[in-house]
Amino acid sequence: MNACTVCKRLTPKERCDVCGNPTSSNWSGLLIITDPEESELAKELNITIPGEYCLRVR
Amino acid sequence: MEDTNNSIYALKTSVGQERNVARLLSRKAQVSGIGISAILVPESLKGYILVESSTKIDLRNPDLKVQHLRGVVEGKHGITFEEAKRFLKPEPIISSIQKGSIVELISGPFKGERAKVVRIDESREEVVLELIEAAVPIPVTVKADQIRIIQKEAD
Repeated sequence: MNACTVCKRLTPKERCDVCGNPTSSNWSGLLIITDPEESELAKELNITIPGEYCLRVR
Repeated sequence: MEDTNNSIYALKTSVGQERNVARLLSRKAQVSGIGISAILVPESLKGYILVESSTKIDLRNPDLKVQHLRGVVEGKHGITFEEAKRFLKPEPIISSIQKGSIVELISGPFKGERAKVVRIDESREEVVLELIEAAVPIPVTVKADQIRIIQKEAD
């Protein structure tokens, strides 16, 4: 899996599905958001789309 | 806190299976609607994951039967959002390394060797080391996550 260098969303592709920015394979920490409307953690990171995110990307 | 009734639970998993457990749990949460809204797997917590849920996590619930999931950490007050938010912004390892520190290499061809930090490149997250036990001091450049600090600063 790769992580988007801007929105930190995980994707197997070379470019992020949502924002189109390049991705990196060097990431750590995992955050899975299933319900962004209910989740306080998603609000803290301004995540509005469900999916897998990393916590840090290089 | 705030207007939510969500709580954060710490779940114990087998070490090394944290991400797998999180992915399986999220899939189960979407199918059965057990109230899980987010799952956090911090790199610094080995063998544990944090789950944000609107309902109490009870492992006797058959919807929560996941391989490598060992149990729920029971506590008086549970985990607060402030504590969980600390894990959302992990501090880069490089900020804790100082010039002159004694470190041990934990991976790569010099694994197990001790070295002294000569230079730090914060933007690339690299450090230049000089191996202590080598007869001739040769600078070695490694990524910051390949070293472990033994002594903060050399005397």
